[in-house]
Formats: sequence, C-alpha cells, structure tokens
Amino acid sequence: MLQNTGIPTKEDIAGVTPSLERRSKGPVAVIECYQKIPCNPCYTSCKFGAIKEFKDINDRPEVDFDKCTGCGQCVVNCPGLSIFIIDESYSDKEALVKIPYEFLPLPGEGSFVTALNREGEPVCRAKVVKIQNAKYQDRTPVVSLTVPKEYSMEVRFFNIEDYFSDNTYVCRCEELTMGELRDLIRMGYRSVDEIKRISRAGMGPCQGRTCRQLIMQELAKATNQDMKDMPMTTFRPPVKTIKLGALLGGDKDE
Amino acid sequence: MKMTEIAIVGGGPAGLSAAVSAAASGARVTLIERDDHLGGQLKKQTHMFFGSKKQYASTRGVDIADILQEQLAKYKDRVEIMTDATVIGIYEDGILTIEQNNKYIKMQPQRIVVATGASEKFLTFPNNDMPGIYGAGAVQTLMNVYGVKPGNNVLMVGAGNIGLIVSYQLMQAGVTVKAIIDAAPRIGGYLVHASKIRRMGIPILTSHTVKYAHGKDSLEKVTICKLDEKFQPIPGTEQDIEADVMCISVGLSPLAELLWQIGCKMTFVPELGGHVPLRNGEMETSLKGIYIAGDVAGIEEASSAMVEGRLAGLCAAKGLGYEAENYEDLRKDCLEQLNSLRSGPVGEKILKGLSKVTA
Repeated sequence: MLQNTGIPTKEDIAGVTPSLERRSKGPVAVIECYQKIPCNPCYTSCKFGAIKEFKDINDRPEVDFDKCTGCGQCVVNCPGLSIFIIDESYSDKEALVKIPYEFLPLPGEGSFVTALNREGEPVCRAKVVKIQNAKYQDRTPVVSLTVPKEYSMEVRFFNIEDYFSDNTYVCRCEELTMGELRDLIRMGYRSVDEIKRISRAGMGPCQGRTCRQLIMQELAKATNQDMKDMPMTTFRPPVKTIKLGALLGGDKDE
Repeated sequence: MKMTEIAIVGGGPAGLSAAVSAAASGARVTLIERDDHLGGQLKKQTHMFFGSKKQYASTRGVDIADILQEQLAKYKDRVEIMTDATVIGIYEDGILTIEQNNKYIKMQPQRIVVATGASEKFLTFPNNDMPGIYGAGAVQTLMNVYGVKPGNNVLMVGAGNIGLIVSYQLMQAGVTVKAIIDAAPRIGGYLVHASKIRRMGIPILTSHTVKYAHGKDSLEKVTICKLDEKFQPIPGTEQDIEADVMCISVGLSPLAELLWQIGCKMTFVPELGGHVPLRNGEMETSLKGIYIAGDVAGIEEASSAMVEGRLAGLCAAKGLGYEAENYEDLRKDCLEQLNSLRSGPVGEKILKGLSKVTA
C-alpha cells in the first residue's frame, strides 16, 4: 500500500488515469498525487484552466483531460515530481512518456535507457527522444522516452544504464548477448528450446536458471506473445551439472 | 553595550522573514546568525518547496534564502546583520550576550524575536557513537553546502520528509541509498516524496528499526529488524544491511534553551516536537517583548516558519510603535496563510499541538 511502501495501488492509479480514448488523442498530464497536502503549484501554473480550482490548498489536483493540452508546465512546477505527460498518439506502437529528471548526467537524445516502473524495476528498453531543460524549468529537466504503448501507464522513471542493450549478457554461462538473441528471433527462432539448441543458452553450469526467464521475456516482447501461452523448455536430468566421474562411480548395476 | 530596537536570534527562514517585516514596518533590527551566512536550513534545500505562491512554492529552498535576503537588503539603512555570532544567553533584564569571533558582546534590545530553529533527535542502539552515523540534516549540510560526499552506501532511518528528501538528494549526489526504514507502520513524509524515491528502486521498509550497528573503526553493517503493532522487535526478522553511512532522521526538537533561560512559560507538546513556549496570537510568549517564530515555536515546514516570522516581526514592530501602514491586512494575511497551510490532514497534528500552547 502506498502509505507503507510508497508504491501506489492499481486502484490509486486507475483513479488518475485518463481514458484510453483521451490518451490516444494526444499528450495529456497524469497527476499521481494521492494525498491531501498543502500544495497548489500545479493548479496555479496551468495556463489552460485544466486543473480544477483548489477550494482549499490541501485539495488533490483534478485534471479536466479535455482542457489539458499536455504542455508540461505543471510537470516542472510540481515540488513532488508527481506529474507525467503521456502521449499515446506518438506512433502506431509507441507512446511518449515525459518524466521530470533531476539527475546528472542527462542521457543523450537518441540514446537508449532502461525504463523503470513505480517500484524501480526494469520494464523495457526506452529511447530518449527529447530533453527539455529551459530556464523556466529551473533545473528540473524533462526527459521524453518512447516506450511500447502498453507500458505508458507503467514507466515512471529510468536508469541511464541500458540494461537491455545489445551488449548485455542474457546467458552468462554460454555468453549469449541480447543482441545475438534478438538476431536469432529476427531469423525466426520462436521458442526457448529452439534458441537453446542453436545457441547453447541454458546449457551451461546454471542450466538455464538465469536466462530461461529472460529469453522468454524478450521473445514475448518481440513476437507479441503472452508468456503464459508460450511453451516451456524441456526439463531432463540432471538439474545441475555433475562430473562424469560421479556418474561412473555409481553402483555396478546402474 | 550595543543597543537595538528588535533583536532577532537566528537568520533562517523564520528569522529572515521576521527581519523583513519588522524593518518594513520601520523598526531598527539586528539579525544575529551563528553561521557565516544567512538562510539557515534553506541553504541546503535544493528541492522545490510545497505550499502556495506566497510561500514561494515550486522555488528551491536555496533560492528562497536569496529572495529573502534581497528583500531585507531594501531596508539596509536600519538593519544590522551579525554573522558568525551566537547568542549564548538571555538575562532577566532583557540583555543578550553574544559571542562573535571570540569576542563577548552585550546587547540591549527592546524586543526579541527568538527564531533559533530546531535540532535533530537521536536514537539509542548499540554502537550509535560509531563514525559513519550522522543526523540526516548534517549529511544534507555536508553534501549541499560544503560539497562533501558522506560515504557510498547509506541506510536512512526515518521516512519523514527529511529522511525522504535527503535520500533523494543523496542519490542525486551519486550515493547509493540501500533502504529507508521507519519504526512507524506508515510513511510519515509526503507520499509524493516516497513514490519519487521508490521508483528509483529504493525500498521503504515501514515497521522496521535499527537493532545493532557493526564495524571496526567505522560503520560497516547495520542489523535491522521488524516491529510488531506495539513497536516490539519480532524475533527472527533480523537482516543485515551493508552500509558505511547511517542517517538518523527521526524528527526534530525545538531549540528553546534561550526561552527557558529567560523564563518563558514552557510546556511539553509531542505534536510540536517537544517543549515549546506558550504564545498569543501575535507570536509573543508569556514574557512581554519576547516573540517566537519557526521551529522553536513548534516543528513544522519552512513555509509556515516564514509566515510565522512575518507575523512575529510585524507584531514586535507594532509593540514598539512602528505600525505598518496596512498592519491589519498584513496580519490577517499571515493568519490566513497559516490556517490554510495547516488546514489539511497533515496539519491536524500541528493544530492539535497548537491548541495546547495558544492563549
């Protein structure tokens, strides 16, 4: 729960999410401010009257999504950095998520970063398409990321390290990189087993404990599949690597 | 003996604001600050402030310190600023004694505004005297005022606003925050601050406390454990966190020694952080001519401290016959701002506390 962990619940988020229809029309502000605190700069900074008048300074912001243009003025004025701009009209498959980011170094425009969710867990690879850092923003730069549309209400931060870069190892035992995995998927390999047979991923000392899940995730993402519908690998003994000597040293009748 | 009309003890948000409104009313003011610069805690607050425009919401604390000093500079013909000057005593006859650059100075003001702020509370656990264990405010000063990195891996104890904000600023400085723990079952600070840190992957563990600090010459590891509803440790829930810095951020207590010395009526109000002076609607204590503002009057946000300062300065000046032109409007405006800042759920505790000390 938000008050114990800092992570808002699904219900919390549902309460501030614009409709799918509105999101697909163009940029819109999502204000993730769930507590009554004495604070009103979002309301006073909005030039379009899109944030309902605060009768009391402790009121929670309420956005009129039809009036909101997604200009982002409130994003840099929010002392809690709790406002994000979502634009699902960005392209067929991708949405734009604008995130206030008060850290150095800033990522480069065009670079790839690791998009994180509200718990700080990696969600996907994201491209930095724009960085706004004008004087009026008073040292709160806004980073625009493109992410797959289904993650627009999930991605809320990023790590400048590109965990999902082509150079990252997926299978550390057999040294399969993300780039090689992506190439294999592009070549038409469609299951973990196929990828295992062609690349040896999962056949090293850990026997797939690390990479099995990662390969499935990448496959699911690249081929638009749900992980629950995807075939698992075949499991055969031994579950861990053992020395041939151990096998030879068995009972005589075995 | 130095003479002045209004002596203001403390050049933080409350003291600076009091100086501005007293000087604007026409009084001669001496502002006494123990540090070598004005601004108090504002100087290290690199984050944007909450509140409304009147309390400089969305402006960074460090910039608010400059704004207040610019306002004060307008009255420089009647404002004296003493930095590196510590008030070390207030006596029954109203004389202040000050230490400045190793000199002992006596001062006779006609009115005094005490705006000394607060000090950090501490915790008792084994090895709490080990190097590497700091107050969170101290770490914030080290980093943001002096540019010193306190260490590499931090355990933050306390999920109030200071704990959350300092954790964020540690991350900005490139320091890893391993976790934020708090004995309370709920996060005490603003949840937007909590969410902002949580999405960077920093766990916030409520109902957890420090059991033991380990290390040879300085802190290396902290054992934490879970607490039940009665704040008792649950056996078997211990876990070790490797950290070379532990920040204690478990609240503030009003820095009220001077008020005790001169004999203001004091009372213990947990909601306001400890012993605080009784006061009237003009921020005057039980002793005529002694005013208070800011955290010394009860722990709150800096936004309220600034408004209290305005009010105390205004009223202290009026007490001397310097009534601001639109005094009534200004006074009412201060009261309205304070009411509005305290009107929501987070202000309930403050209002409850204030009801015990306001005449």
